[in-house]
Amino acid sequence: MKKLSILFLFFTFCFVANSQSNFLLYSFKGNVSVVENGTTSPAKVGKMLTSAASVKLTSGGAVTLICDEAAMFTLTKSGTFSLSKFGDSCKVSSSSVSANYVKYVWASMTKSSGSPGSNRKAYMNTVGAVSRSINNVWIDPRLDTVNYCGGDFPLSWKSYTEAKEFEVFLYNKEDISTPFYSTVVSKMKIPISDLAGKIKPGNSYYWTAAIKGEENDELKVLNYVTREAYDGVVNKIKSQSAAFEAPAEQAYRIGFMLEDAHYLSEACTYYSKASKLDSANVLYRSTLMSFKKDYEIK
Amino acid sequence: MTDHPENEQKKQKKGFRHHAKKVHGRVTKYLYEKDTILSTIWVFIFIFALGAIPLNLGIMNPVKLGLKDFDFNDITYSKLGKASHTPIDKRIVIVNIGNSNREEIAMMIDKVGSLKPKVMALDALFYGERDPYQDSLLSESFKKNKNLIASQMLVLSGKEGDTVSSYAGKYISTASNYAFVNLFDDSLKTIRYCQPFFEDYAQKAYPSFAAAVIKAYDTVAYEKMEKNGEHNHKLIINYSRRVDRYLVIPYEQVLAGDVDDSSFIGKIVLFGFIDENPSNLEDKKFTPMNDRFAGKSIPDMNGIVVHANIISMALDKDYIKKVPLWGNLVLAIIVCWLHMSFFIHFYLESHIWFHLAAKIAQVLSAILFVWLGIYLYDKYRLKVDMKLSIVVIVLAVDVIYFYEAWAVWMHKKFNYKTVFKPHHH
Repeated sequence: MKKLSILFLFFTFCFVANSQSNFLLYSFKGNVSVVENGTTSPAKVGKMLTSAASVKLTSGGAVTLICDEAAMFTLTKSGTFSLSKFGDSCKVSSSSVSANYVKYVWASMTKSSGSPGSNRKAYMNTVGAVSRSINNVWIDPRLDTVNYCGGDFPLSWKSYTEAKEFEVFLYNKEDISTPFYSTVVSKMKIPISDLAGKIKPGNSYYWTAAIKGEENDELKVLNYVTREAYDGVVNKIKSQSAAFEAPAEQAYRIGFMLEDAHYLSEACTYYSKASKLDSANVLYRSTLMSFKKDYEIK
Repeated sequence: MTDHPENEQKKQKKGFRHHAKKVHGRVTKYLYEKDTILSTIWVFIFIFALGAIPLNLGIMNPVKLGLKDFDFNDITYSKLGKASHTPIDKRIVIVNIGNSNREEIAMMIDKVGSLKPKVMALDALFYGERDPYQDSLLSESFKKNKNLIASQMLVLSGKEGDTVSSYAGKYISTASNYAFVNLFDDSLKTIRYCQPFFEDYAQKAYPSFAAAVIKAYDTVAYEKMEKNGEHNHKLIINYSRRVDRYLVIPYEQVLAGDVDDSSFIGKIVLFGFIDENPSNLEDKKFTPMNDRFAGKSIPDMNGIVVHANIISMALDKDYIKKVPLWGNLVLAIIVCWLHMSFFIHFYLESHIWFHLAAKIAQVLSAILFVWLGIYLYDKYRLKVDMKLSIVVIVLAVDVIYFYEAWAVWMHKKFNYKTVFKPHHH
C-alpha cells in the first residue's frame, strides 16, 4: 500500500511537472522586471519563464507573453503578477478547419448583408480627412461634438505617454484662448456631470484635455441642450416609427438616431433600455457593449 | 391506434432507404447514356472554345476580374482560423531594422553577431553611397561577420528574362554571401510562389534569400529544397505564420541590450523591415493570409515575414503538393458527368422542378467541392484547383439546352438516337 502511495505521488508529481506552462517574454515597454527564485531582474525579450516566475510592471508598462509557444496575451496594469495564475490564458481553441467552414458557410448564408443599424462602427467611423496632431493626448473624433442634456456620460481621451494627471479645460464660445474653468483628473475621462455646475443649459462650450502642464489646442464642442430642445428631438425621432414597432425596437432605433445626432449620453440610456427590454437580442447587447467600450463607460 | 415503436423504426428505415434509392436513381439512371457523356464533352468543348478566343472577353466581366487572383484556400486563413495558433517558430528571430541608418545596421549586425547566431541574413538593399563614415562601418561589419547573408536584386534581361545582366542594391559588396530577394511575381498579386533558385540561360544557379539561409542552417532541408526547386521550379509557399508567430525584436532593444542573450545562440536571425501599421505599405505584400480573401484590400505582410515563412516551410519540409492539370481535369470531368446525369434526369422526367433542383444542386455542390479542396489543402497539403470543377457545374445547366437542340437536329438529319424528344417541352 505504501509503495502504491509513493508511486501515485510520483506520477502526480510527474504530471504536475509536465503540465507546467512555459512563457516566452515576447515584447515589453516601460519599466518591466521579472522575479525568478526570489531574484528580480530587468525584463529581456526572448527570455523563457516558468509558471513559478512573476512579472512586475510599473505604471505605463506593458508586457506581452506567449504561453506554450501558442497563446499570446498582454499585461498592461501595474503590479506584480504570478505567471502560475495565467493557466487559462494558455488555452487555445482547437476547432478544426472543416468545422469552422461549416459554421462560416451557415453564418454567411443566414446573415444579412448589414445596415447602418447592425454595423454601427462601419457606418459611423469612416471619415474623409487626415488627422494632424502633435499632442500627447488623442481625443476620439466621435467626441468632436457632444450634445448633452443630462446623465452620467464621460468625455474621454487617450494618452500616448505616461502621465498620472491630466487637465481638462472648458472654454466659452466667445473666448477660446482662455479657459474659464479647468480641473485636474487622474483618469483619462471626466463625467460631464462633473462639469454641469460650470455650464448652463442652452449654451455651447469648447473643451479639451491635456497632460498636466501641457497644452492641447484641439478643441471639441460641448452643447448643453435644454430639456425642451432635447424633448423636441426625441419626439421627432419617436414620430418616425414604423407601424408596428416593439418597445425594444423603438428604444434601439431612438438610441441609434440619438447617437447619430451626437446625443451620446441619451443614446446610451436608450441602448440600455433596448437591451433590457429584449435581453435575448444579440444585436442590442453587442451594440450596448461596444458603445460602452468606445466611450469608456463603466 | 399507433404503431409499435419497432414497426415505426422499421418504417423510418424503409423510408430513408427509399429516399436514398430515389436520389441514387436520379443520379445514375442516365449516367451511362450516350447523351450524358456527349453533353459532358460539350461542356468541355465550350470551355475550350471560350478560352481559345484571342480576345479578352473578361475585361468587362466583374466576376472574372474578381476571380483573377482568387484562391478558395485563402478562406482557411481569413475566415476559418488556420494558422492562428501555430506555435511560434523558435528557430527564427527577426530583428526589425525600422528606419535605421547604415551605421545603426552595422552596429546591430555586430551586436547580434557577437551573440553567436548560426546564420544572419539582412533583407535590405543598399543603392549607392551615403555618408562615407557610415558606409565604411557597414562595409567592415559585412566583412567581419562571415555568417551574414546580404541581399541583392537580380537585374534580368533578354527576351526570356533568363540573363542576369547586373545586380542591384549591392553597393556594400564586402559580404561573404549574397542572395537574391526577387519574388518574381507581380507586386499587386498575392505572393503564392517562391523560386528558391534562379537558373540563367547558361544553367548558372543563383540562390534565393531563403535558400541561402537554409543552406547555412540545415543541409538536409537544403538538399530537399534544392531537389524541389531545381530548374527554376516554383514552389507554393506554405504560409504558416503571421508576424506575431515569430519573435520580432526592435533594433533599439537589441542595441540597448534588452534582449536575452540566449535568444540568438544557434538561431537564424533575419534583419528586415516590419511595420504593423496598416497605413505603412513599404515592402508589404499581398499574401493568402490577408484578412480579406476577395475584393479590394491592402497588402498585409512585410517581405521579411514572407521570407521567414519560406524558411519555416523548408525547415519543416512542409511543402505543398500541387495536383497536376490532368488531375484537376479528370476531377472536373467526373464532377461534370455526375451532375449532367442528375440534371438530365430532372430535365426529362420532372422538368417543372428542373431549374429549382439544378440551382440547389449547384449551390450544394459548390459548398461541398470548396470544402473538399480546403480539407485536402489543410490536412494533406494537397492543392487541388476546384475552380474548373465549379465552372463545369455552372455551365452544365446551360449546355443541356444547347445539347437538346443539337441532339434533336441530329436526330432529324441523321436519325441520331437520343433521349431528348423533338419539342420536348
